[in-house]
Amino acid sequence: MSLFIVMFKEIVDNLRDRQTVFYALLFGPILLPLLLGGSLVASFKQLSIDFDEVTSLSVLHAERAPRLMEFLHGHNIDVTEAPENVQASVRRGDVLVVLEIPEDFADQLRAGRPAPLTLHVNSADKESGKAARRVQAILSVYERTLNNLRLQHRGIDPSTFDSLNLVENDVSSDGSSGQLLASILPFLFIMSMVMGGFYLAIDTTAGERERQSLEPLLSLPLKRSAVVFGKYGATLCFVTLSGVLTAVSIYTLFRLFPIELMGGQIRFDGRTLVRAFLLASPLLPFISALLITVSAVTRSTKEAQTYLGLMMMVPMAPFFLLQFLSIRSTTMSMPIPMLSQYQLLESAVLGDSIPILHILLSAGGTLAATALLLTLASRLYQRERLLD
Amino acid sequence: MIVAEDLHRSFKRPGGRAFRLPFGKSDAKADSRVVAVNSVSFTADDGRITGLLGPNGAGKSTTLRMLATLIRPERGSASVDGHDVTRDVLAVRQHLGFMPHNAGIYPRLSARENIHYYARLCGLDKQQAEQRVGQLIEQLDMKGFADRRATGFSQGQKTKVALARALAHQPQTIMLDEPTNGLDVMATRGLREIIRQLAADGHCIVFSSHIMQEVAALCDHIAIISDGSIAMQDSLAGILERTGENDLEDAFVKATLSLQPETDR
Repeated sequence: MSLFIVMFKEIVDNLRDRQTVFYALLFGPILLPLLLGGSLVASFKQLSIDFDEVTSLSVLHAERAPRLMEFLHGHNIDVTEAPENVQASVRRGDVLVVLEIPEDFADQLRAGRPAPLTLHVNSADKESGKAARRVQAILSVYERTLNNLRLQHRGIDPSTFDSLNLVENDVSSDGSSGQLLASILPFLFIMSMVMGGFYLAIDTTAGERERQSLEPLLSLPLKRSAVVFGKYGATLCFVTLSGVLTAVSIYTLFRLFPIELMGGQIRFDGRTLVRAFLLASPLLPFISALLITVSAVTRSTKEAQTYLGLMMMVPMAPFFLLQFLSIRSTTMSMPIPMLSQYQLLESAVLGDSIPILHILLSAGGTLAATALLLTLASRLYQRERLLD
Repeated sequence: MIVAEDLHRSFKRPGGRAFRLPFGKSDAKADSRVVAVNSVSFTADDGRITGLLGPNGAGKSTTLRMLATLIRPERGSASVDGHDVTRDVLAVRQHLGFMPHNAGIYPRLSARENIHYYARLCGLDKQQAEQRVGQLIEQLDMKGFADRRATGFSQGQKTKVALARALAHQPQTIMLDEPTNGLDVMATRGLREIIRQLAADGHCIVFSSHIMQEVAALCDHIAIISDGSIAMQDSLAGILERTGENDLEDAFVKATLSLQPETDR
C-alpha cells in the first residue's frame, strides 16, 4: 500500500517537473526518432533513383547526336537547351548536370572509335551527383547497345567479351540502408526508455537526498523496501510511457514514407512494431532497475547525472559493437540484457524468424539481472550511509 | 516518553573512499573511527519539553537519529513509549514524529500535498488524511499558503510544513532537531507557542538546539550534551543551582568544562 502511495506521489511530483517531462515525453519519443529516423528516410530519398520519373537534362549541342537524344527521350529524360555558361551554372546549381557533346562525336562514332562525351557535374552537391548517376546509368545502357552493334557488324558474337556473367543480387544502397534502419530501431527504443526514466530516477533518489527530504521520509512507519519499490514503480511507469510513445511515433513516422524506399526489406506495419516492442519489453523493468540502483549510490543530482551519463554507454555499447563486429545471435549472447534485445529487434524488423528459445533466454536473462539490481538497490537503501 | 541508556555510536572517519558497496565487512579498527556519541543517557517525560543543548558536533543529531531508528546504536539501549529502538523499529516510528535538522520538503508539491503524503504513508486512509491535514493547517496557522507550491516558501513556512508533516500521524512523542534554525523572531515565537501547546496536550517533546536562550525560554528539562556525553541534566533552576551560576550560558560552560578532563585526554 505504502508502495503505491510513494509511487503515485513520485509520478505526480515529476509530472510537474519540466525537465523530467521533456525527456520522458518529448526527447525519446519524438525528437530522437525524428532526428535519426527522419534523416535516415531523407537519405533513402537522396540515394535512390526513380528511373520511371520524367526528368529533364540540359544538353549542349544536342543537334550533334540526334540518335542519343532519342534514346534519352525513350528513357524518361526530356532534353533541354543548355545554359550559356555551362561550368558556372552547374557550380551555382542552376542546372544539376550538363551533358556536352563535342564536335567530333559523330565522326568518332562513325569511325568506330571511342566517341567523346563530357558530363559537367558538381560532386559537392548531392543532388547533382544523383542526377549524374542517373545519366551515367542510362548512357552505359546506350554504350552496351552500341558495343553489341559494333561487334555484330564485325561478325563477332558479343557474348565473347562477357567472360563472366555476374549477377548482382540486390546490393544496392537500399538494402544496406534497410540493415542500418533495423539496427537503429533498437537503439531508438532503448535510448528513449533510458531517457524517459533518467531524470525521475535521479530526482527520486539523489534528488531526495540533496533536498534533505530523505531522512524524515525514512523515519516514517513504513518499510524501506516500500520506499525503494515505490520509486522503482514510478520510474518503471515513465520508462514504459516513453517506450510506448516511441513505438507510436516510430510507427507514425514510417507511415509517412513509402515502404518501397526501403527496398521492400522492412515492413513497418503495426504487427512488426508490436512484436519488436514485446521483445524489448523485458528491458523496461531492467532499465528502471539500472537507473534506480545507480542513482541510489549517489549523493547529489550532479553526481547522479555523472554516473548515469557514464552508464549511457551501456545501452550504446551493443549498438556500436554490432555495427563494427558482426556478432551473431547465439544462445550464448541471448541471456545478456541489451545485447540480446538489439539482436532480437533487428531480426524482428528484418522479418526473420526468431527461435522461441532465444526469446525465453533473452527475457529470462534480462529479468534475472533486474532482480539482481533490485536486490542491490534495496540493500543500498538499508545502509545508514544513505543519510550522510 | 523517551528513555535512553548509555547510547554509544561511532562513525568511520570521513574522507575515506567515496562510497562502499554494502557487502564488505566493516573491518575498520577502533582508532580509525570518530566517536560521535559516547554514553548518552537521558529521560524525556510526557507533557514536558526536554531540551538537548549542546554545541555543533556534540552528538545531538546522532542521538536523535538513533532514537528515530535511522541508525543503530553500537552500545546501550533506548525506547520510545516503551518500544525498543533496535528491535521494535516500526512501532517506534509509529509513536514518534521526527523533524530532522534542515528537513527538506518537496518543492513541487503544495504544503497540503506535502503533509497529505506523509499522513497517507503513516497509514491514514484518504479521508482520514484529508481531515488530519485540515486540522494541522488550522493548528499551525498555515491557511495562507496551504495550497501554494512549496518552491518559494520562506524558512518559517517550510518549517511549519515540516513540523505538520512530522505530526501527521498524531505521534505521542515528538523530536525536533534544531527547528528554529533560520527562523526570524516572529516565526520563532510562533513555533515556541505551538511546541508549548503540544506539551500541554500531553506530548513528550525533545527539542535540540545550540542556542542557550532558546532552550532556557522553552524547555522544562534540559540535558546538556558535550563531546558525545551528557554533562548534566536537570530543570533550568536545578542546573543553575548545581553549577552556582545565574545564567544558562555560564552554567553550560561550567558543566561542559567539568567533563573535559575525562574526554580530552
